[in-house]
Amino acid sequence: MGRRRRRGGGARVGALPEAIAALSQTLPAGPSPEIFRRAKFDRPEAAPALWQLLFRVLSPPAAAGTRASPALGAQVRLVKSALCSQGYPRRVLARLPEDGSQGSRELLLALAWLLARGPLLEHLLAQTRVWLGDEIPLWQYEALASPGPPAPCQEADGPVDIRHLQWLMGTLRFRWRDLITSQQELCALLGKIHSYTRGCHSDRGLGHLSVAETELLRDPEGGRQLLQRLESENTRLEAALQWRRRELVFWQWMDTVLGSCPLQTSPATFLPRDPASGPGELELVARELRGLHGELQGAVEPRRAAWEAKAGGWGPEWSAAQRATQEAVGRDLAALQRAWEQGGAPAQPHRPCRLVKRDARAVEGPGLRAAELTGALRIRESRLETALGQLQTRCRQELARLAGAEPGLIWILPPGR
Amino acid sequence: MLPLDCSRRLVAELRDALDACAERQRQLERSLRVSRRLLRTWEPAETLAAEPTPEPETDEEVPPPAGTPSPQDLRELELLTQALEKAVRVRKGVSKAGERHGALSLKSAATSRATTASAPPGASGQAGRRTSETKPPRGVHQTTVPARGLPECRLPSVGDRTRMGRGASTTKPRPSLRDQQIPPSAAPQAPEAFTLKEKGSLLKLPMAYRKVASQNSRLWAQLSSPQTSDSKDAASMAKTQFLQKMKTTSGWPGSGLAAAEVEVEAGLLRKACSLMRQRMEEVLSADPADRIQEYYSLLTLEGLQAITGQCLHRLQELRAAVAGQQLGPWPEGRCCRASLPCGGRTDPTWSPQLLFYSSPEELQSLAVLGLRVAMLDQQIHLQKVLMADLLPLVGAREPPGPPWLALCRAVHSLLCEGGERFLTVLRDEPAD
Repeated sequence: MGRRRRRGGGARVGALPEAIAALSQTLPAGPSPEIFRRAKFDRPEAAPALWQLLFRVLSPPAAAGTRASPALGAQVRLVKSALCSQGYPRRVLARLPEDGSQGSRELLLALAWLLARGPLLEHLLAQTRVWLGDEIPLWQYEALASPGPPAPCQEADGPVDIRHLQWLMGTLRFRWRDLITSQQELCALLGKIHSYTRGCHSDRGLGHLSVAETELLRDPEGGRQLLQRLESENTRLEAALQWRRRELVFWQWMDTVLGSCPLQTSPATFLPRDPASGPGELELVARELRGLHGELQGAVEPRRAAWEAKAGGWGPEWSAAQRATQEAVGRDLAALQRAWEQGGAPAQPHRPCRLVKRDARAVEGPGLRAAELTGALRIRESRLETALGQLQTRCRQELARLAGAEPGLIWILPPGR
Repeated sequence: MLPLDCSRRLVAELRDALDACAERQRQLERSLRVSRRLLRTWEPAETLAAEPTPEPETDEEVPPPAGTPSPQDLRELELLTQALEKAVRVRKGVSKAGERHGALSLKSAATSRATTASAPPGASGQAGRRTSETKPPRGVHQTTVPARGLPECRLPSVGDRTRMGRGASTTKPRPSLRDQQIPPSAAPQAPEAFTLKEKGSLLKLPMAYRKVASQNSRLWAQLSSPQTSDSKDAASMAKTQFLQKMKTTSGWPGSGLAAAEVEVEAGLLRKACSLMRQRMEEVLSADPADRIQEYYSLLTLEGLQAITGQCLHRLQELRAAVAGQQLGPWPEGRCCRASLPCGGRTDPTWSPQLLFYSSPEELQSLAVLGLRVAMLDQQIHLQKVLMADLLPLVGAREPPGPPWLALCRAVHSLLCEGGERFLTVLRDEPAD
C-alpha cells in the first residue's frame, strides 16, 4: 500500500489516513477513507460514490438540498459538463461510461484538481452554514438570476407568440410587487421581535434575540435540531482545520496516483457544439461595446477638430498645464479600470449581515449602519433607473427609425411619458 | 410568431427571472410564517398523559414529529413529570406566596405546564387563586382549547389579538426541562399564555446552545484567519505542482481557457462598458468652464475610446477561443453554472457583519431599496436581451401588414414602456 512505501519520504506513518479521514469528514456526504484507497487502484466499486460526491460538490446549492438526487446517469452527465466548463484538462473523464461504473481513479484526480484550484472545502462549508441571525436581501443580480440548474428545455419548445412574452413580463412585475410587500411585512415583524426580546442575549454586543434563537426557545424540538446541526457543523469545521494541518501528505500521495495513470495519447474527439446556443453572452457584450465605441468616436472627432483649430499661441505655461492634465486623466482612467477589474461594487456588502436593532444614538463599534447603506443604495438605484431610461430611449429611437419608413401610419404614443 | 431559437432564448430568460422571484418569495413566506407564529401566544408544552395523539398539523413548515413516541417513552415521561411535580410542590412549600410575575420566564412556565396536566386538581386549586389575582387587561387572552387536559382556570378568550390556531403537536419530551433549572421561587403558576410582547425580555438562551454557538463562531474565525505557517506554503506549492502535472499529462494542447472563465471575463467587460458609459455621460453633460477642462474632457473621451478598443480586442480573442473549440470538447448547450468561484475572489468564510438599524421604518426602506435595486438590475439585463433579439425582427419583417404592425406595437410596449403601456397605430388613409 502507498503508506508503507512512503515511510522514507519524511511523512509520518499514519499521517495519510488521518488526512484522508479529515477530508472525508469535511466533505458533505463524503465517502469513507476506504473509497479513497480503492480509487487509487481504479477499483470499479469506488466509482459510484465518487460520482455522487462530485455531483454534490459541483451542483448548485439550491438543487442539492431540496430535490431528490437524480439518477446516477444524470449525475454523471452533470459532473462531466460542470468539470468541462471549469476547464478540467484531462479528456479521459469525458469518455467514462455513463452508468458510473468505472473511472474511480480519474474521479479521485478530478476531486484533487478541484481542491487544488481554490478554497473548495471552505466554500462547501459556507454553503450549508447555519445562520443564527436575521438578514435582509442585499443581493447582486447575478445571485438572483441563477437559482439552480437550468430547467430541461423540452417544455416550451415550439415558437411562441410575442404575447406570451408580454404575459411573462407582466407576471414578473406582479411577482416583484408581491416580494416587496412581503418583505415590508417581514421587516415590521422583525422589528417587533427584536424590540420585545431586548436584553436577552448573552452577547451584550447584540442585545436581542434573532428569529432563529427565539424560535428555538419557543419550540424545543426545533431547537434541538438546530443544536444538532450546529454540532455537526462544528465537527466538520474541526475536520477542516485538521485537514489543513495534514494536507501536504495528501498532495504527495496524489502525485503517486497521477504517476500511476497511463499517459494520454489518443487524439482529441470533439463533439459538435449545440448550434442552438444563440448569440450568447459574448455577442451581447460585443454589441454594447461596439455601440459605446461608436458613440465615443462621434463625440471625440468634432471635439478634437475644434481643439486643433483653436490650438496655438497659448504660451509656455500651457505645456505644464497640458502635462498635468494628461497625468490626471491617466490616473482617473486607471482608477476606472481598476473598478471593474477588481470586481464587485464597493458599496454593496458581500458579507451576510446580521440585523441588530439599536437606538440611533447608541451605535458604536464596527458594523454597518442602515442609514449609510440606504444612502448608497439610493445612489445606485438612481443610476440604474437612468441606465434603464437610456436603454428605453434608444429603443424608442430605433423603433421610430424602423417604423418611420412607413408612410401613411400615425403612431400615437401612450400618455404619461 | 417568433422564430424558434429566439423564442427559446427569451422564454428561458424570462422563466429564469420568474423562478428566481418565486424562490425568494418562498423563503420570505417561510420566514413570515415563523415570525408570525412567534408573535402569537406560544403553545404550551403538551404532556402525554393529557393528549396521547397529536393534533392535526396545520403548519406544514414545522417538521413532523419523528413518529409517535413508544409506550415506553410515554411511561418514562409520566414518571419524569410526576417527579418534577413533586419537586415543585416541595419548593412551593418553601417559596414566598404571592410571587407571580417575577418568575414568569419560559423555564417556570414550561415546568408548571408539564406538571399541571398530570396533577390537575392540586395545581388548579393554586392556579385558580393565582389567576384570580391576575389582571385581565394585561392582555393574556386564550381560547379554551378543549380536550387538552389543562385546568379550567384559564381565562376565557376575550381578545382577538392572540389566536391559538396552531395545533403544534408536542407529544415529545421537552428538552427544555432538562436544560433549565427550576427557579427556587417558582410556585406552580397558572399556565398563562406566553406572549413575546409581555415576557420577551425575560427569555434566556439555554446554556447548551450558547456553548455550541460560541464554539461555532470560534471555529469559523479560526478557519478564516490567514495562515502563514510553513506547512501552508509547502501545501500551496504542492498544489501548484499537482495542477501543473495534471495539465502536462493530459496531452491536450488547449488554450487553457475554461468556459466558466470566459463567462467571468464577459461579465467584467460588461461592467467595464457600463462604467465607461457612465463616465462618458458625465463628461458630455458637463460644460467645460475653461480651456483646461475642455482639454481634460477631450483627453478623457479619447482615453475611453482607446480602452473600449482594447476591450473589443479582448472580446475578439475570447470569441475566437470559444469558436475554435479550444475550450473543451463537451459543452452541452447551457452548462450548469458551476457554483464554485473561479479564483476565489469572494471569501466564503467571513463571519457575518452587524447591520444596525434604529426603527422598523428604516429597516423597511432599506430592504425595499435592496429589492428595487435587484429588480432594476434584472430589468436592465432583460431589456438588453430583448433588444438584442426583438429589434432585428422588426427590421426584418415585411411591413406594413397587420402582423408587422402588431409586432411593432408589442415590441414598443415591451422595450420602451416596460410592458406597461401600449401605443396606438392609426392608418392614415388619404381621402378619396
